[in-house]
Order: sequence, then C-alpha cells, then structure tokens
Amino acid sequence: MKISVNIGSTEFKNPVTVASGTFGHAERYFDLEEVKRLGAIVPKTVTLLAQVGNKPVRIVETPSGMINAIGIENPGIDAFLADKLPSFKKIGVPLMVSILGHSPEQFLSIIEKINQQEGIAAVELNLSCPNLNHKTLVAQDPQATETLVKAVKALSKYPIITKLSPNVTDISDIALAAEIGGADAVSMVNTFTAMAIDIKTRRSKIGNYTGGLSGPAIRPIAVAMVNRVYNRIKIPIIGMGGIASASDALEFIIAGASMVAVGTMNFINPRAPLEVLEGIEAYMTENKIDDIKDLIGSVQQ
Amino acid sequence: METIQNIYKVVSNEQLCPQYWRLVFDAPQIIKTVKPGQFVHIRTNEAGLEPFFRRPFSVYRAQKHVEIFYDVKGPGTKLLSLKAKGDTLDILGPLGTGFVMPLQTTKQVVMIAGGIGVAPMLILSDLLKTLKYELVLIYGGRTRAHVYPLKEFKDNGVKVHIATDDGSVGFKGRVSGLFDKIRIDPKTTFVYTCGPNPMMKAVQDFAGKNGLKGQAACEEIMACGLGACLGCSIETTKGFKTVCYDGPAFPLEEVKFH
Repeated sequence: MKISVNIGSTEFKNPVTVASGTFGHAERYFDLEEVKRLGAIVPKTVTLLAQVGNKPVRIVETPSGMINAIGIENPGIDAFLADKLPSFKKIGVPLMVSILGHSPEQFLSIIEKINQQEGIAAVELNLSCPNLNHKTLVAQDPQATETLVKAVKALSKYPIITKLSPNVTDISDIALAAEIGGADAVSMVNTFTAMAIDIKTRRSKIGNYTGGLSGPAIRPIAVAMVNRVYNRIKIPIIGMGGIASASDALEFIIAGASMVAVGTMNFINPRAPLEVLEGIEAYMTENKIDDIKDLIGSVQQ
Repeated sequence: METIQNIYKVVSNEQLCPQYWRLVFDAPQIIKTVKPGQFVHIRTNEAGLEPFFRRPFSVYRAQKHVEIFYDVKGPGTKLLSLKAKGDTLDILGPLGTGFVMPLQTTKQVVMIAGGIGVAPMLILSDLLKTLKYELVLIYGGRTRAHVYPLKEFKDNGVKVHIATDDGSVGFKGRVSGLFDKIRIDPKTTFVYTCGPNPMMKAVQDFAGKNGLKGQAACEEIMACGLGACLGCSIETTKGFKTVCYDGPAFPLEEVKFH
C-alpha cells in the first residue's frame, strides 16, 4: 500500500499531519514512538518578534467546536529556532514551520533565518490568522497573496505552503493566486471569524471581541471549500477543518486533499491523528486501494 | 513511555452533600506520579461532541484510587454525575504544575479554600501531614449546602475553620474574617489558596501586607490541558501564563487576580 505524498520535492511518508497551534509539548506528554508515525508535524505559528498574545478570555466552547483568539502568542523566530526547533527535530518527523509576518518584509526576514537552518520539510505561510486586528488579511486579497508568495518563493530554499482563510467570497480565487505565485501547496482552512455574546453583560465572551471558529462544526464547509479549490488548482491541498476521525479525513481526501491535518480535535482527543492514520490504512486495505493517489479528488460528480 | 491519555474504570460516584460530588476511579498510573495541585482532564461525553471540551478537575486524593471532587454546574459535570461503578472514562493526566513545598523554616501551613477550591487541599494535607506541620484549613462556602463534613481533613489532623456567607455554619461572613487564625510570621507560616478569584485576591493582599509566602491554584476554562492551545492563559507579573501547563499552582504574589 502506498500512502506517501509529495509537496514540492519533499516526500511525506503518509498524509496525516496536525494543524498549526494545536500540537505542543510532545516531549513531556506523548509517546514519541506514536508521534513518529505521523507524516509531518506543524508547530504553532511564529512571528519575527515575540508576541504575548491577546488578553484573556481567549477561548469559548461552542456547539461541536470552539472560538479562539489567542493572538499568535509565540517567542519569535530567533528564540523558536534556538530553543524549540531542536526538540521538534529530535522527534524525527518532517517539520512544517508555520510563519507569519506583519508585512512582506517581515515574511522575508523570517525566511532568511529559516534558510540558515537544515532539516525543515516545508514552510507554511499563515496569511489567514483572523485575530490580529489587521484590516484585511493577505489571504483575503488575491493580488497580495500572489505577490507575497512570489517574493517568498524566490527567497526560500524550502517548499512553500500557503494557508488560506475561509473568510472570503471565493476561496478558490485566492488558492489560484497562491498557485500562480509559485506556492508548492495550499493548506485550508483556517478558522471562520466568529463571535459569542454573554447575554447578561451584553459583551463578547472573547477578550479580542471576535475570534476564529474551528472544530467539527466547520467541517462540512471546509470539505466543500477543498473540493472547490481542488477543481481549480493543480498543486496539492492540505485539508483541515474539524477532522475527528479517519472517515472525516477521508472525506477531505476524496474531496481533493493530498494531506490532512487534525487541528482542534487534538485538544479533545490527543490520539486523534494516529487514529486517523490507522483508519485511512484500514479503509484502503478494505477497499483494495493500493495508492492513496487513487483516492485524492475521487468524489463522483 | 506510558501515555498520558487512558481509559479508566469508575469505582464510585456519590453525592457528598447537596452541592458536591466525589468520583473515584482506578488509575494506578496516575497514583504513581501525581503531585498535589495537579489535575486530570476528563472527556465527559466520549461518544459525542457535546459538550465539546474536556473538563479539568484537581486531584482531590490519590491513595488506593484517584478521587475528584466536583459540583454539578453545567452539561459536562451533569454527564459526569451520571457515571456509575464500572463505567469507563477517557482521562488525560496527571497534568500541570502542582504546588511547591513550604519553606524549610515553615511550621504552620494555612490552606485557604473557597467552595470547590477545597479540592486540591486534601491531597496536599495527605502529603504534608507526614511532615509534622501544624495544618490549618480556612474554608468558605456560601451556605450549609456548600459545606460538606470535611472529615478527611480532620482525620489528617487539620484544624478546620469554616465561614459561610449566611452564617448557617461557622463564622458568618467571608474567609477574610478568619484570617486571625493565621500566625503572622513570614518565617514559619506558608499559605496555599484555591477558590474564587476575589477570595484569592483577599488572601494575596493579606499575605502581601504581612510578608507571607504562598501558592495559589488557579482555574480557567481549558481546551487542551496540555499547554498547546494557550487558551487558558492568565495574567501574572511574569506575563501570560497557562493555567494548564505553567500552573494551576503559581507563587501567590505573581498572579494578577481580576
């Protein structure tokens, strides 16, 4: 059975990864032998300079999901590369490093620093965090997406994945712009802008006023978006949005995703990524599918 | 390596008083490593997604079995209260950073707890009673219904002082009305507190004014419980810290209570 997939020139031994911001402290809490079986891991997004994140309250539980407005709390790229990268590398799973710049120049500065490192599988451009009070996200503007991806691609020695926002009129326009810019893959979707209100105080339940909705609540929308994008671009898609089980992940793959990422469900069931991997293998065996490529985008029209 | 996520069997689940319940489950692996102030993160609906988050509970006791102490507040704890002997639970734990030990010079350990905040104090007293401290518990509850017998504390040799808002048991008023039970000597007195933020703030102010050192166990709504999502961050004098990973226990003077 062949379940390996390629992004750019990098081969991943299987299609299962985790979404940025949902996976941490593997060294303290997880059986690393289990983590080693994943296709890739994605640490939380890093920015050029350290960010303290948004003021609490940062999360709200919602039906089959959650709203978060963490605000990319992170130690900054230098501290990340010095302190965190070594322990992530030690796990021995391909690393996709997720980065966010507040300007094109910042993205390029981060890429320059990453270029000096060895052993990174790919770089994910987070163009779609909804919680930083930017008026427009890069991932809401096709021209800005294309220009930024082009500039980053020209500099980066690693494959570039563009993370898309679902908070747009037509996500496939942005995906196409990323492809034209030279992206090696797109990952989708980031969270949906969302709000929950305390009716007693008539205030938002989130310190940042609005946040991003994730979890199984968004899954059917994300599957539809992946399928729409699959029909317009040729580069691989990393699909995510509320994946809780292998059957959820298979929906994304059949819709057109080459890889799948478990995100919010890591918080509920840390073993979910492994269960997804095992379930995909079992499904392929049961249905006599020798190569996962035969599944990708195989939904009947 | 043993994994942090396991399925454990319920040994018992009973209502201790009108307000509070105690769930006991068989988890030898947690017993081996758990420290006072650490917590377990329970999936109250294994079969579904409502409620969505796990629910965190301080470990109340870890002797033969692991015990948690809880009140039925919402859909998660409601489901938990329906669990019976022999049922299974998907539990992460033990998680978080527990209490540090008292100072080398400490003689009197004062535990100040409000309501459900008494939960981490029993396992703490189980440990500290073996170390010959004078143990005091100052416990505040709203009414008689919120005050359970506290027998286990008394069995541990803890001197118990109770305050209720309505005076139905013990002192009438806030726990701060019982601060005269605390020996004001920064060298020999150490304070542990857990409860509503306004109460812990009062403890912090009192300790600060009198130069007493201590620890506060904090509570926040959590998603992962593993320090990954950064959703349960609180403000401290050292910046945002996660309750689930950096805490729940923090140096008393560092937490900015709101």
